[in-house]
Amino acid sequence: MRNRFDEQLKRLHVELIQMGALCEDAISAAAEALLKGDASLAETAIEKEREIDQAEREVENLCLKLLLQQQPVARDLREISAALKMISDLERIGDQAADIAELTEHVRMPDESRAPHIGDMARSVIRMVTDSVDSFVKRDLTLARSVCDADDQVDALFERVKKELIALISADAAYGEQSLDLLMVAKYLERIGDHATNVAEWVEYSITGVHPSNN
Amino acid sequence: MKRHIFRAILAVALAVLLTSLVLIMGVLYGYFQDRITAELARSTAYIAHGLETQGMDYLTGRLPGDSRVTWVAADGTVLFDNREDPAGMENHAEREEIRDALLLGHGTAARYSDTLSQKTVYYALRLADGSVLRLADTQYSVWTLVLQAMQPVALVTLLAVCLALWLAGRVSRRLVEPINAIDPDAPGETAYEELAPLVGKLRSQNRRIQRQVEDLRRQREEFSAITENMSEGLLVIDRETRVLSYNTAALRLLGAEGPVKEAESVLALDREAGFRRCVEEALAGRRWEELLEREETCRRVLASPVEQDGDLTGAVLLVLDVTEKEQREALRREFTANVSHELKTPLTAILGTAEILENGMVRPEDIQHFAGNIHREAQRLIGLVNDIIKLSRLDEGGYAAQWETVDLYQQAGDVLDQLAPAADKKQVSMTLEGDCALVRGVPQIIEEIVYNLCDNAVAYNRQGGSVTVTVSAAAEGARIAVRDTGAGIPKEAQDRVFERFYRVDKSHSGGGTGLGLSIVKHGAAYLGARVELDSEPGRGSTFTVTFPPAGT
Repeated sequence: MRNRFDEQLKRLHVELIQMGALCEDAISAAAEALLKGDASLAETAIEKEREIDQAEREVENLCLKLLLQQQPVARDLREISAALKMISDLERIGDQAADIAELTEHVRMPDESRAPHIGDMARSVIRMVTDSVDSFVKRDLTLARSVCDADDQVDALFERVKKELIALISADAAYGEQSLDLLMVAKYLERIGDHATNVAEWVEYSITGVHPSNN
Repeated sequence: MKRHIFRAILAVALAVLLTSLVLIMGVLYGYFQDRITAELARSTAYIAHGLETQGMDYLTGRLPGDSRVTWVAADGTVLFDNREDPAGMENHAEREEIRDALLLGHGTAARYSDTLSQKTVYYALRLADGSVLRLADTQYSVWTLVLQAMQPVALVTLLAVCLALWLAGRVSRRLVEPINAIDPDAPGETAYEELAPLVGKLRSQNRRIQRQVEDLRRQREEFSAITENMSEGLLVIDRETRVLSYNTAALRLLGAEGPVKEAESVLALDREAGFRRCVEEALAGRRWEELLEREETCRRVLASPVEQDGDLTGAVLLVLDVTEKEQREALRREFTANVSHELKTPLTAILGTAEILENGMVRPEDIQHFAGNIHREAQRLIGLVNDIIKLSRLDEGGYAAQWETVDLYQQAGDVLDQLAPAADKKQVSMTLEGDCALVRGVPQIIEEIVYNLCDNAVAYNRQGGSVTVTVSAAAEGARIAVRDTGAGIPKEAQDRVFERFYRVDKSHSGGGTGLGLSIVKHGAAYLGARVELDSEPGRGSTFTVTFPPAGT
């Protein structure tokens, strides 16, 4: 019985890794599409989002099956409930990556000199998503905590991007529509950063048994 | 086993105890009956004697013992009974003991009473007058005896059972002890000869197992020695993507940290899309190949499914470091593009000039100039083709020429003589220093090396500069250094000047083929020599070629 349970826990782990990797793919593709203006990459991001939804349902089913059939306790229970929470955050990351990809179809990036920080922001966010998935894969507490710290940087970057876009509009009103789209992109990126933080927090919870928000 | 022996001993002891109790009881019963009969016979004889001497009076008087006494006449009529009224008693002639006594002189019989709890033993004796005197005594039946003896018997049985328990425990322990003493890992001699074949078998099996374990260990060591020394990464995974076997090269190439935890998924090592695709496809039963590019490195992953008896059981992943191969591939593509370009440039010039000449658009006095152009470009073309041929020969190691001893000093002198016109044109002064230094090598290649170095030193020198060639013979090998006073080579370009067609000056204004230093590098490598470059932008460069000691 225990053996079978362990098997299923391992499978859950693998499926979560796969789902995390899909999220990384989606956000990287969306960011590339934005920064390089490549429409085919936007397609990839949207396609990945569908795969992520599929993966979420599968992981959810597996989690519920484990909870009902095995009635886990202590550490196992913590791991499964953390997984359940994590997948909804991962799914949101996928959604927002797809939203960014959709926006890239009619937004042109202004040249780097005018809005230099949105690229940085995208890169930081990708790093955060990668690190949060990594911290889960390796059960690395310090990495999980570093993700939470990186979120502050991303928030600061968002403020700077906002100021840059305001400056862009006040310099030339023709940039208005585009700037608003870019602001949306920045907001989505900022949200993805928040979700990555959530994932990292759940990783911390599943390792230590204490959710960082309780401290 | 101990329990079995214990039970068997106990069962045997109890069975023996019960059987002997029963038998003893039976034997004793018979013995008692015989004794009673004998007693009766003696009493009867005594009373008979009394009766014969004193008559009826003796019977009515006090009789010895407490037996029932009956006197029966020869016809069976009861004459006297000391317990009942003789008148009320039936004729006794047919009673077994009386009949026997009438016939044989005496008779015995034993009869159970109605309740079966008592048995009456009779003894009859024929008197001289033909009448019969009978004595009867009661004896308890076996069952009554048993019932009466129950308490002591139970006590004895209990004691016996306790003794049996204790003894059985002790004995069984003693019996089993030598068997327990056998060490299954190293069975020695045994106290029981019945166990000797078993112990022998155990010993031989132990040896066999040990041998097999040893074989397995060796095989595993061989396998890991092979895989560990592979530069390719090897991963074996099962259907659930768990890593069954891996080597350190795989971890290095995937950029993962070891060691891999037990039953860890391979996706925890790397979850790049291409890698995931490989794992997925291989576990779906298809061979797959992906190129993973990350930053500076480039890896090729080959995934093959593993099937056993038609069932998919896992996959084997091979990770190859193809960074160098990809770089070489890129270099080759660049080289091909460069060659085509370099060949085309002079050809275009020749073609254009020839066309103009053909169309008669040139004044007769300019023909010489145009022909000169064609000549110069054609020469450049030939130089280029020659250089390429030299390089490809060096590449293939196709120099079949004899190795000879060459004097570097003399060689350098020859080359400088050859270059004197070009140097004069640029007003570059050339000096040769040092003295005779012998090296072993292919003369043509040595000449190429020295020529190309000096040619470059002149060609890329400034107007009125100088070229100093120093030849020296040292213990670690002969050496030739060519120093110029040209523009020098910037730091970042110093590694690249030996590449084919690489030029520090991108404008291609200096002439030359761009292959000279490449020939020097490959030629030196062919001869086992070492090329060093020391340069400072604006102050000139020094190329030093150190040949291996002539003795080797």
